[in-house]
Amino acid sequence: MKLFLSLLMLFSFSFAEDSTIEVIKRVDSLPSLAVEDSSISYDDTFKKRFFKSLVADMNVISIFNVDRHYRETHFNDTSVIVDNKDMKYVLRYKMFEDDNGALNVGIKLFNEDEIVLSKNYKVSRKNIYMFVSHAIAFDVNEYMGEPSVEWMKRKVIFSRIVAPKKSEIVIADYTLTYQHTIVNGGFNVFPKWASRAQNSFYYTALDTKTPTLKHVDIRTAKVKNIISSDGMMVCSDVSDDGKTLLLTMAKDGQPDVYSYNVNTNKYSRETRYNGIDVNAQFMSKNKIVFISNRLGYPNVFSKKIGSSEVEQMIYYGKSNSSCSAHGEYIVYKARESSNAFSSNTFNLHLISTKTDFIRRLTATGVNEFPRFSKDGDAIIFIKNYMAQSSIGIIRLKHNKNYLFPLKYGRVQSMDW
Amino acid sequence: MKNLVLSGVVATLLVFSGCSSKDPVVDAPAQEVEAPVAQEIQAVETETVSNEDSLVSSETNELSMGDLEAQMSSVYFDFDKFNIRSDMQDEISTSASIAKSTASAFSVKLEGNCDEWGSDEYNFALGLKRANAVKKALVAEGIDESRVAMVSYGESNPVCNEKTKDCWSKNRRVDFKLLP
Repeated sequence: MKLFLSLLMLFSFSFAEDSTIEVIKRVDSLPSLAVEDSSISYDDTFKKRFFKSLVADMNVISIFNVDRHYRETHFNDTSVIVDNKDMKYVLRYKMFEDDNGALNVGIKLFNEDEIVLSKNYKVSRKNIYMFVSHAIAFDVNEYMGEPSVEWMKRKVIFSRIVAPKKSEIVIADYTLTYQHTIVNGGFNVFPKWASRAQNSFYYTALDTKTPTLKHVDIRTAKVKNIISSDGMMVCSDVSDDGKTLLLTMAKDGQPDVYSYNVNTNKYSRETRYNGIDVNAQFMSKNKIVFISNRLGYPNVFSKKIGSSEVEQMIYYGKSNSSCSAHGEYIVYKARESSNAFSSNTFNLHLISTKTDFIRRLTATGVNEFPRFSKDGDAIIFIKNYMAQSSIGIIRLKHNKNYLFPLKYGRVQSMDW
Repeated sequence: MKNLVLSGVVATLLVFSGCSSKDPVVDAPAQEVEAPVAQEIQAVETETVSNEDSLVSSETNELSMGDLEAQMSSVYFDFDKFNIRSDMQDEISTSASIAKSTASAFSVKLEGNCDEWGSDEYNFALGLKRANAVKKALVAEGIDESRVAMVSYGESNPVCNEKTKDCWSKNRRVDFKLLP
């Protein structure tokens, strides 16, 4: 019996940190948190908008049971509102507009009537209020001693089709609430951050003579041509150090994965299959995963850079046409219905290369463009369900999905 | 209470000043908010594939280019496939003979397209393989390879936007365009 117990314990410990295992935990035991508004400037619409954004962000950090009731109080009241007496934590904030029109926000975090955290924030214009909201959530998460949610402050870059053969490239916050169109006009697709710092990016221009990869420095707005290829050119991934790109190029109409050295401008062909090889992603410095139809349908394969040996990674799903990798983890999109056109369902699944488990991350609708955060803590994706598109955030360790509705049309490609 | 100013977020996101988002944003100095905003980049259109505009030049061969294109009907494909369907062979032969005779002065640009059901990159590759299949068929019909160029638009150039089976099948196609 002892042996059995210790084996069981060994088994459970060895899988304790595996993200492919769904952990149903803590949902009821999460501490409660209410949000109180003490704003003195701004109209009700804006006050409610900020409140909603803050409640959403506090939810996404997944460490509180957040109360959704909107309540107002005075900022300097020493105790929380009577209605919130039973709450473990109360987050009170005050927004005010200064003489320069800047949005100032002060916060106080109460833990049972005692102020445990207070901070002030300021942004030059009120329409970028969502960054204050993200920053407050980041700081509260930090104060609570939880693993960093640095990704909350990262930017999403995406392209959207505005008309046939017309697109624009947009930079947004992680909820896509704030959107700034950075490349306007023309037919430009597949934007990809060029470095971790997110101050430059690559994209493919399709209205040039041959598809051309371009690099944009967003501090100087300088655009330079990198490389072009007949038929197809996509930057699928950028290495952590920003020095190696994984490209899909199509010399002689044959889409294959190439690695490209940014310093020497030299490329080498990584795949040689006579069908489709695309969407390469770094798993580590020397290992990549990519999508290939070498089995007659799109699926996920891996290989070492420079070697010709290819390994099938996924044994589930009829059509796995897109993926994102982070270390040992791969998230991929699988078509669930057998009929190509009747009520198509595309779900996201997570696998680890170290175990045989598959974790289904979504349950309904068409879920696409999965992208890991840089630290692997979260996955961002687009969900289309019942004529509504949303951006989704999956917190792997907390087993939670959050959706933010999107107002506009079709996303073509996205990077985080 | 310590007075802290949030500006890093603005700096990194709005202003694209390049200040590392790793730093706790609350500690950044307020001046950084005023960093110069990068202009939007206006992509320059460098090529216009022949269309109605070509009528303006009033040359006879320009005028006929649009007409010839209209005679070269699109080639349609099955879901997730890039092999030429048997019912499409005749269309390709017709287009090939036009390309060899009346349109022999132009080069041919094949534009591969897909329905909305693929995935970003995979769909582009699929569109390209479709264009490539048509190119091979044209070459087999005796057209010089150097006259044929290819491009893929994935699902971003639909001719039909309804959510029906019929509509999707219209989008899985290769279009012929003529280039002077």
